[in-house]
Amino acid sequence: MKLNKITKAALCMSLLAAMGCTGDFEDINTNPNGITPELFEQDFNHIKGGFAPMFNNIQVLTPEWVYQLQQGLNCDIWSGYMATPTGFAGGINNTTYSLVDGWNGFIWDYAYSNVMFNAYDIAQKSKGKYDQFYALSLILKVEGMHRLTDTFGPIIYSKFGTTDSTIEYDSQQEVYNQMFSELDFAVAELTKREDAGEASTFATTDMSGYGGSYKAWAKFANTLRLRLAMRIVKVNPALAKTQAEKAIAHKYGVFTTNADLFKVVSPVYTNPIATISGAWLDIRMSADMESIMGGYNDPRLATYFDTSTQFPGQYKGVRTGIDIAAKSDHQDFSGIGAVVRSKEIVLFTTAEAYFLRAEGALRGWNMGGDAKSLYEAGIAASFEQRGASGAAAYIADNVKTAKAYVDPNFPVNNSPALNNVTIAWDAAATNEVKLQKIITQKWIAGFPEGQEAWSDYRRTGYPKLFPVLKNYSGTTITTEFGVRRINFVQSEKAGNAGGVATGVAKLGGPDNGGTRLWWDTTGANF
Amino acid sequence: MKKIFLIFMIVFTAQVSLAQVKNVKGVITDSDGMPLPGASVAVQGGQKGATTDFDGLYSIDVQKGQTLVFTYVGLETQNIVVGDAATINVKMQVAASNALNEVVVTSLGIKKTRKSLTYAAQELKGEELTRVRDANLVNTIAGKIAGVAVTKSSSGTGGSTKVVIRGNSSVSNNQPLYVIDGIPLYNGSSGQPNDSFGSTSTGNRDGGDVVSLINPDDYEGMTVLKGAAASVLYGSQGANGVILLSSKKAKAGKPLLTVSSVTTFESAAYLPKFQSDYVAAPGADESWGAAGKSKDHVKDFFQVGNTQITSVGYSTSSENSSTAFTYSNTSGTGIMPGNSIKKNNFGIRQTAKFFDDKLLFAANANYTSQTIINKPVNGFYFNPLTGVYLMPRGNDFDYYKNNYEVFDPNRNLMAQNWMTNRDIMQNPYWGINRNKSEDKNNFFNGALSLTYKANNWLSIAGRYSYNRVESDFDKKIYATTQGTISHINGRYYVENALSTQRYADLIATINTKFSDDFSFNANIGTSVTNTLGNQKTILDSGIGGGLKYANWFTLQNFNNNSGNYQTIDTRKEVQSVFAATTFGYKDMLFLDVAARNDWSSTLANTDSAGYFYPSVGLTALLSEMVTLPEFINFGKVRATYAEVGNDVYPFVTVPTYYYTPGVTDPKPKVAPKEGTSLKPELKSEYELGTEWRMFNNRFAFELSYYNSETKNQYLQVVAPKGNSQGVDFYGINAGSIENKGFEAVVTAGIFRGDKFSWDSSVNFSQNKNKVKEIPTELGGRVNLTEAGVNSYRYALIEGRPFGVIEGINFKKDAQGRILLNDDGTIQKTGFEEVGNSNPDYMIGFSNSFKIGSFFANVLIDGRFGGNVMSLTQAQNDSFGVSRATGDARNAGGVAINAVRASDGTPVTSMDAQLYYTQVGGRAGITGEYVYDATNVSVREISIGYNFNAKRLPFIQTASVSLIARNLFFIYKDAPFDPNIALSTGEGLQGVDIYGQPSTRSIGLNLNVTF
Repeated sequence: MKLNKITKAALCMSLLAAMGCTGDFEDINTNPNGITPELFEQDFNHIKGGFAPMFNNIQVLTPEWVYQLQQGLNCDIWSGYMATPTGFAGGINNTTYSLVDGWNGFIWDYAYSNVMFNAYDIAQKSKGKYDQFYALSLILKVEGMHRLTDTFGPIIYSKFGTTDSTIEYDSQQEVYNQMFSELDFAVAELTKREDAGEASTFATTDMSGYGGSYKAWAKFANTLRLRLAMRIVKVNPALAKTQAEKAIAHKYGVFTTNADLFKVVSPVYTNPIATISGAWLDIRMSADMESIMGGYNDPRLATYFDTSTQFPGQYKGVRTGIDIAAKSDHQDFSGIGAVVRSKEIVLFTTAEAYFLRAEGALRGWNMGGDAKSLYEAGIAASFEQRGASGAAAYIADNVKTAKAYVDPNFPVNNSPALNNVTIAWDAAATNEVKLQKIITQKWIAGFPEGQEAWSDYRRTGYPKLFPVLKNYSGTTITTEFGVRRINFVQSEKAGNAGGVATGVAKLGGPDNGGTRLWWDTTGANF
Repeated sequence: MKKIFLIFMIVFTAQVSLAQVKNVKGVITDSDGMPLPGASVAVQGGQKGATTDFDGLYSIDVQKGQTLVFTYVGLETQNIVVGDAATINVKMQVAASNALNEVVVTSLGIKKTRKSLTYAAQELKGEELTRVRDANLVNTIAGKIAGVAVTKSSSGTGGSTKVVIRGNSSVSNNQPLYVIDGIPLYNGSSGQPNDSFGSTSTGNRDGGDVVSLINPDDYEGMTVLKGAAASVLYGSQGANGVILLSSKKAKAGKPLLTVSSVTTFESAAYLPKFQSDYVAAPGADESWGAAGKSKDHVKDFFQVGNTQITSVGYSTSSENSSTAFTYSNTSGTGIMPGNSIKKNNFGIRQTAKFFDDKLLFAANANYTSQTIINKPVNGFYFNPLTGVYLMPRGNDFDYYKNNYEVFDPNRNLMAQNWMTNRDIMQNPYWGINRNKSEDKNNFFNGALSLTYKANNWLSIAGRYSYNRVESDFDKKIYATTQGTISHINGRYYVENALSTQRYADLIATINTKFSDDFSFNANIGTSVTNTLGNQKTILDSGIGGGLKYANWFTLQNFNNNSGNYQTIDTRKEVQSVFAATTFGYKDMLFLDVAARNDWSSTLANTDSAGYFYPSVGLTALLSEMVTLPEFINFGKVRATYAEVGNDVYPFVTVPTYYYTPGVTDPKPKVAPKEGTSLKPELKSEYELGTEWRMFNNRFAFELSYYNSETKNQYLQVVAPKGNSQGVDFYGINAGSIENKGFEAVVTAGIFRGDKFSWDSSVNFSQNKNKVKEIPTELGGRVNLTEAGVNSYRYALIEGRPFGVIEGINFKKDAQGRILLNDDGTIQKTGFEEVGNSNPDYMIGFSNSFKIGSFFANVLIDGRFGGNVMSLTQAQNDSFGVSRATGDARNAGGVAINAVRASDGTPVTSMDAQLYYTQVGGRAGITGEYVYDATNVSVREISIGYNFNAKRLPFIQTASVSLIARNLFFIYKDAPFDPNIALSTGEGLQGVDIYGQPSTRSIGLNLNVTF
């Protein structure tokens, strides 16, 4: 009896004690370092917060090693811009066409977890309610994700955000069509607001230097449309023409002055290439750059590259795909110059807009100018952007061509020049030669953003690049044509194997680096 | 005449009715001074009797001159004639014929007779913890307890230790709970590495744990409760087993002063093997150049480390109070230059009794402060070993040692001097001197307890304890440190972590008999535990951000704020009520029934914050129930079933947005999927066992079989990108892990003589583990360590044992020939299972010898089965520094059984460089670097001498011994010590990535008690 009473009393006391206190549990279980969702909706931060990671990860700004894997050791090299003196993985890696899955997964994963996710997240929160944010997010999404389809081909795009266990890939054609229509929406929405004289609500969030201007963003969207249009010119010339002319015909048009160009202005981070080149000595000027810009004695060289510490006063490039015995063999060749020691990362130059129009004009499209004047305006814009002088003389130079490449200590890497076009426009030349000039100048002007240059190289074959001397692809990638794409990534094969299968089916070829993308046809340029 | 009268008196006292009745009290203890509850006291020839309470106290009315008979099963019965004294304290000795009935400390500090236990509990006496002393108490239990796997971290003296009891059962945490005097100890780590490359900010560092900070001298013994049944009273914290420590109590009698001093010398054992026949090409990082002799500088890099532990203790006790004080100082240097440790432990314990001994008060406080300079890291960054091992041969190591920095006139500072700018291999002496790190750990443990004995069958105890751990880490990285890990002006990294635990309980203990045949014990209580785990402030000037002025290490010199942040790992409160009861029948049949209900704050906003779990167990003493052959002294069978619940991660059910500047955007990291709720994990286990003693207790064995399954494990699955909640991960309950195992403990007194004795014991344990279920959303797997850019991955895979090591293999044809590309390169597979990190079975074999005043102890520890991978060897191979590469070059290439894939041309030899640069390396064909983890080592040896105290003034006992730890391996396959792990967390198991080599330690132990 006594026992029972005491047991009961103890149990009741404890239960009371316990039950009485669980009211604090939600507070205790709230991370004091987190921001509650309610707090975050103030100032529309729940929408605006998603923009910074998009800006910061179109090209990964930090940490540097991720940039190196996301872009530095793939398209920056395959574009012919840069080369690495380091024999990563025993020299058997992307640069020698043995595609490294452990590196290349970063391209996909960073795009999806930062660009694509936030575009989706912003859309969820703003579509139909705050359409200005939705429109802006679409432009950033297209800028970020076209790079991804241009790298892999079929990607997850329209099906993104579904909760199905298998997420289907879109074909590259489907992705391009959707991107065009997304740009349609964005341009219409921003134009409407600009015309209504609406003040921008994006100024403090805008990392582009446009200060939130809807007009500037619409102009960027038009220029982006022009880029995408030209990309598909070989596979669908009619649509390419329609889209390109639509961009030019819009009331705000495309980039014309260097104030228009699209860049990411980071308050914190310097272009990661500065560290990778300056501190790590992992990336150098390429042999192609030395050959072409050196041959032209291009005034922009001084901002693009530092002179070699091993060969003082000289710009020395490293050839890609060579046998690397020691990093020190080439690490003291030219590093990347002042252009990357900056917190401004230019992703789309005004010069590129002119060169796109020049090519369009060459193809007989209505580009608001003739090919020659647009070509020359492109060069002039690039000179102005880089603070280089002597544009007029450069444009008129009909003598200089690319020079032979000499590796001072390893003659096995030497090569005669591959490109023989001069700078000056030659009305009498064939369209093929004219195109080579346009793309060569576009290539020079676009430095150091390797993604677009690699796409142009695959589409046009220009400028001609020194072939690799070591090809460890096991016959999947030819030395003649180089890397055409990157195979699908490990994270997808592990987590969305069914989706990858749909991607492979839509790719129309084996899932390796030699399969050409939809827009990359084997047909002639004209 | 007087004598005769006395005898007469004694014999007839009982009949003398006028004789005076008086009350006699006292405490009954065992030979170690531990109080014996449940001992009986009877008046010889009379009806009266009493039993001791849980503190060994008895009280009986008796007449002067009567004889009191003290009995306790397994101990020598004593008869004492009552004289004038009102207090008779009895110390009972182990009976020569029966060494069975010791008392064991079980959950919540509750003492139980060993015979009544329904589950496996194994004890270690205090001397086992200090005989061959290690600065970390836990390292001394390796090989001594069946079913307990002890793995040291590779971070040297002061590092943490991973202990797994009866196999890994949880995805998130498998460490046991440590309990001191019934109160749970907070044993978190401020950080464990889980990156196969190494952190670019600090290297792969071991943040240390708490149990490594306590002083082994403060404890008189340890009990390991292995199963769920034993630990049900600790709830979720005890789901992985419980290690109970009992602190030394002041013993009644005269004051004691103990002094001990241990000095050990550690030397690097089991270094990788290096070639000395080829040097690097000029300017090359890798040693694939011409033939040329180089000296093996690696051996000279390591030094003889030493550890000096000095302890002083004092205790005294009077009738109503006792005091014990200990102080211990540890100082040492590691085997790597620049590594040192200093540790101070203070402990004080006070007890007092009031109100006729009805109220017992006890308080103790322990404080430890520890400082470690350059605690060894593993992985490729900030690790001096990479530079030491990989230095391009042909360079003069001593030159770079003596000139690790040289003046740079362009910057007007001292700059690192090294032949390469490779991120993974700096000048080791630059790293030691100019990337110096300091780990400070301060630990306070204070506890108060009040026990009130209401009457002879009920007592109520309340306890409160406070643990506070401060872990501070400071790393100053000087300008000209390699650019991947530092800014051009240097880098400053500071981490301050605070963890606290507040625990309080209130427990009523009932100890009574329903009748002569039925006894009843019960503990009914409630407790509350408040935990704050790793509230951190991290300051990091970073690589991109950097310092404004070179080598000025302070916050105001940071270029920006982007590397600074605050985080918190855990904050939670668990409230509990519990009850445990034991019904005994005639001291031969015992039934345990226990139950507990927890309410955890981590389950806020779920269907129920509370969860209930029970246990039941039954023990039968066969030797009391039936007549067994004479040579059998004791036989028992037992069975138990128990469940243990476990709550989920903190903060998951109340998602907030989180932001680290420049790294992530503000979004919630993890939440339960919309429309779903979380529930607690549930571990269920049944256990069967039997225990026998025979031949006058000279031979004994205990067998246990257990089968456990942990279900509803809390897992985080990657949420679909762009889900409506915006989370990276969904928290779900899924996954199930099963462990089945068998344990045997056999002890034998092989020889017992006056001059010579030999006692031996064998611990055997086998565990079979299976990951039964991992949800399809996770692809049937959970990667505990991601591969990153290396060919090592560590994962849980459905249908496989816990802890699969994955790597890359040769791609082979049907005939087992390696496939080659046309250019001669080797074809590789994707990630495949290449091994498993867990042993199949373990055996510990310990022997103690006494020869006169000399004594000797030898412990042999074996782990059988399981695998380890060595990325160290792989990387050494690809850099052409390993002996294998030298031998291959001397042999003119590597013999291989290969075939060209395109045309089937057989290839039988490959150039050594071409082979090892593809097969070796951290991203190479790591399946070739997997070794059998089986090893048998001479874990502990001590040889000593007990001085004859009678001949020495003031001295009660004195001994001196020569001790050795990890003396040598009897068998080992791997090129390193497989008992060392890179992390004591869940990841990075079964792999060596430039971990500090295992050490062999030899020293001298001196103990004196005054």
